[in-house]
Amino acid sequence: MAKNKKLYGTMFDGALDLVPLIDVVFLILLFFILCGRLTVDQRTEQITVPPTRTAAKFDTKGWDRIVLNVYGSTQNGKPPRNTIALPPRPPWVTSAIDDYTGYKKLREALNTVHDKAEKYDDPKGTGMKLPKVIVEIRADAETEYRVVQEVQQVLSDTIDPANNMLPRQGLDPKSLKSFVNLDFTTRKPGEK
Amino acid sequence: MSHGDADAAEGKLDLVPLIDTVMLLLLFFIMTSKFTTEEKAISSLLPTDKGQLSNPQTKTVEEPKQVNIRIFPAGMEKGYQPSEYRDQLAKMRQPGQNIDFADFYIGANPLLKVDGKTLSRSRDAKAVSQALDEVHGFVMKSLETYESGTGERKDQHPVIIHCFSGMSWRFALIAYDAVRAYEATKATFKFSGNPDELARMREVTFAPPRIRNYSANELGNELFEIIHMK
Repeated sequence: MAKNKKLYGTMFDGALDLVPLIDVVFLILLFFILCGRLTVDQRTEQITVPPTRTAAKFDTKGWDRIVLNVYGSTQNGKPPRNTIALPPRPPWVTSAIDDYTGYKKLREALNTVHDKAEKYDDPKGTGMKLPKVIVEIRADAETEYRVVQEVQQVLSDTIDPANNMLPRQGLDPKSLKSFVNLDFTTRKPGEK
Repeated sequence: MSHGDADAAEGKLDLVPLIDTVMLLLLFFIMTSKFTTEEKAISSLLPTDKGQLSNPQTKTVEEPKQVNIRIFPAGMEKGYQPSEYRDQLAKMRQPGQNIDFADFYIGANPLLKVDGKTLSRSRDAKAVSQALDEVHGFVMKSLETYESGTGERKDQHPVIIHCFSGMSWRFALIAYDAVRAYEATKATFKFSGNPDELARMREVTFAPPRIRNYSANELGNELFEIIHMK
């Protein structure tokens, strides 16, 4: 009887035994702390990057990083396919043929980043001052390839989006605001 | 004497504030946690000494040696006019739709047909891995025939990926991935991710756009150029 009283004493007292509840709640809490990832707005859920084999998580200390999202087919069509976005700025729709507004705005944003960034001399001896910034192109697997092509042209600053994407002619390479270090976002096959 | 004080006097711990706090924490993590895919990256370096950026003094009249990887809609063959490729493309897809199958060509090597639908199956890791392995095997076998000398990897002929602009990004990136995987088997050092190391690696780039106006006629012209490229 003494043993039973010890085990069930609290029930006889009319008080609820909260210890199992606390145990369970702590376990759930621990699960969320360990498994949950606090995502930032730069990485939107509406983009499914393509799977690859050589994908790796690199340590790029000393370099700044900006993430450029390129959307594929999205739920409800918003934002439309081929839209580009440089968070936290609002997305720029580029789906219409011959509409270069998005690329023009991207270039304007990149100019600001370039001006603020730490620079290094181009090892190939072109005289260019390159920013210590890695541009991560996070393009959906279904994005049209042409958009990624155009984005790379805008990044290299060899074309002028404000002038119908025509090549910049007769410019001193030193005056260009090129971003040459790119990362293409990808995932390992099977990772959901 | 309050209820809490009475419990304390009896030697019991008041657990209610603890439970309140833990419940709030739990609610916070449930609301803010997102179970997203762990994303990784493949590094790339855009050339600064080519095209518009090149120094005129370093220009050469000799045709540059390079390895071209051509990717275009499966089933398209040489020998047609741009307008015919335009019509073939129109039959193959509606505007805004994806092209599911692609043909990969590297030089004169036999083509590889790649199924984009399989690659987009995010839940079937085995099928995706198998599809990737096919592309990697094809690229490795083909690039082996274009090896030149035994110098540093950066001295090998650059690899340029010419993908039809209307294809999905996945096809171009998979080709890039396969070349990088091939280079990893030949490299004398392991790439740590430091961008400075990219200059020591073989140049692998995506060809610049061939057209700016993506009308049906221009797409036909682009297909003609890619399909008939040497």
